[in-house]
Amino acid sequence: MVPVEHYFVLATVMFFLGICGALFRRNLIMVLMSIELMLNAVNLVFIAAGRGNSSLDGQIMVVFVITVAACEAAVGLAMVIALFRKYGTVNTDFLRILRG
Amino acid sequence: MGLTMNEFTVQFIATLLKFAVIAGLCINIPPIMVWAERRVPAFMQRRKGPNRVGIFKWRLYGLLQSAADAVKLIFKEEVVPEGAAKAFYHIAPVFSVFPAIMVAMAIPYGPDIQLFGYTIPLSVIRVDVGFLFIFAISSLAVYGVTIAGWASNNKYSLLGALRASAQMISYEIPLGMSLIPIVLLYGSLDLNTIVIAQSQIWKWGVVLSPISFCLFVIAMFAETNRAPFDLAEAEGELVAGFHTEYTSAKFAAFFLAEYVSMFVLSCLAATVFFGGWQIPFFDIRSLDVLIGIPGVSGLVGFGVLFVKAAFFMWLYVWVRWTIPRFRYDQLMSLGWKFMIPIGLLNVVVTAIVLAVIRF
Amino acid sequence: MFDLPLFLNSSLLSIGVFHFFAAMITIVSLLVVVSQHPVKSAVFLVVDLFLLAGLYASMDSHFIAAIQILVYAGAIVVLFLFVIMLLNLKADSIKGLRFSAPEAAALLISFIGFLIMTFNVFRGQAPEGIKGGFSIEAIDANGGNTYMVAMRLLTTYIWPFELASMLILLAIVAAIVIAKKDKILKSLIQKELR
Repeated sequence: MVPVEHYFVLATVMFFLGICGALFRRNLIMVLMSIELMLNAVNLVFIAAGRGNSSLDGQIMVVFVITVAACEAAVGLAMVIALFRKYGTVNTDFLRILRG
Repeated sequence: MGLTMNEFTVQFIATLLKFAVIAGLCINIPPIMVWAERRVPAFMQRRKGPNRVGIFKWRLYGLLQSAADAVKLIFKEEVVPEGAAKAFYHIAPVFSVFPAIMVAMAIPYGPDIQLFGYTIPLSVIRVDVGFLFIFAISSLAVYGVTIAGWASNNKYSLLGALRASAQMISYEIPLGMSLIPIVLLYGSLDLNTIVIAQSQIWKWGVVLSPISFCLFVIAMFAETNRAPFDLAEAEGELVAGFHTEYTSAKFAAFFLAEYVSMFVLSCLAATVFFGGWQIPFFDIRSLDVLIGIPGVSGLVGFGVLFVKAAFFMWLYVWVRWTIPRFRYDQLMSLGWKFMIPIGLLNVVVTAIVLAVIRF
Repeated sequence: MFDLPLFLNSSLLSIGVFHFFAAMITIVSLLVVVSQHPVKSAVFLVVDLFLLAGLYASMDSHFIAAIQILVYAGAIVVLFLFVIMLLNLKADSIKGLRFSAPEAAALLISFIGFLIMTFNVFRGQAPEGIKGGFSIEAIDANGGNTYMVAMRLLTTYIWPFELASMLILLAIVAAIVIAKKDKILKSLIQKELR
């Protein structure tokens, strides 16, 4: 059996890559995809920890995380489409109304 | 986990053999279906259909026409369109074929057989969540279509791919929803358990839940992009849809994927609604003892399932030559405004009835 | 003698499988983040999710593995791909990539967090969790993983489950309202066309 810590390291790497993508990509859709990557890292930690502690709650948490991820993707992409209709771009550099 | 060395070897070899047999079957489905798709409408329209190609004087009702077609298709020149995304263009047929063949591995083709003292299940991949596995893998089929359409750098391809992917993800919902009552009724996600539970004709899925069956059949046609829902490749509007720019063996691969997924959905319909490898009033598993040759029950079960699946394959061809193509908005409103509400209602009613009965 | 079944059940193989999956997941995740074209990123994301599902299945969570492919790969990423194609997005240009001060600070902080987490993991200081009563043997004896997860989800966690369904309903309504075409805009366009 693989020690739980190994899974944690993998999840940490994934989460960090997700943060990098969310911070440095200029495309809104890429930002959303990076967030999905981060959510998946969290899922991996839940399942590995649940298994390491012989508990089922980790798997149940993952069900909820996937639900929230689906909602987030649906609403996020709807916003991307609305933004594209209004401004003709999804590049975050050009979407700066709130920046004053 | 208490596998001994011998048992592991036997199971490993058996899995390889089963894989080879099922993959071989899948590859041979398209030629036979192409033949059927020419002969059946010919029969309906009182004409002959292809009947010339043969070996010497044996014409075999034109069965070799599709072999000739396959040879022709593979030896055609391969053209890659200019401006295509090369890597994705080449990998898209793989994305299309892989899910189709993978799903075919999870169907139970017969009862567990006893050979040389070992119990061998007659499905290549045996998982306790067989239902979910089939849905999960077959939902990946969208990618082959979408990537093919996007990578060929052609507006008709892209439009066809968009249509096809929208249609496939819309109709996946009624397809899944139509099977939830079945899972509720038999109380299992394992396909083999469901088949074993359907030992009598009044225990068949189609008798217990006819609405599910109707929804499943409609969604089955839409899911494989077949007529009357073949908008993704409407010749009059989109040339040939997502595979307009594909030639030669890659085109054949899309063909293969389409027919294999038709076969798999037919097998699934037979398994879930028509008792799979079971015959009513007779237990196939007792054949081994009756005849005295081990493994006969497996062969007979496979034959029974194949006949039942063949009925659905025939239905595909029948419907294709009977019902005209839908308009796109009609397709979407049928899926979202009619089938999903009916499916939801079906789930709720089945659950309430079951709760009342078991209370 | 080389004993294959013993080898298959040994921890050596499972660690090997894990390291294979881990290496693949790391590479593919990197490709998701650095691919220039969004379509390529989406395809790599699908591969990543598929590999993660394999990892879940190797941890005996078959139900979650199936759900992962079904919902994530089968629905969410298709939605992404669909929107990318609908908007006909082009590849990002690397030239536009530049650092702003808050972003650099955020990266630095997250990198420090990453180092702390990795360091803690290797020091073996992960806190001992509460041991639940669901070891793999106990789960197998009580009807399998899927059954046990379903039982727990629909008894102990029934209220969160219902809340999640409400959340989905909310998201459906929100997505439709947000993505709906502006009626005033539409009538204006029609007036122009006339």
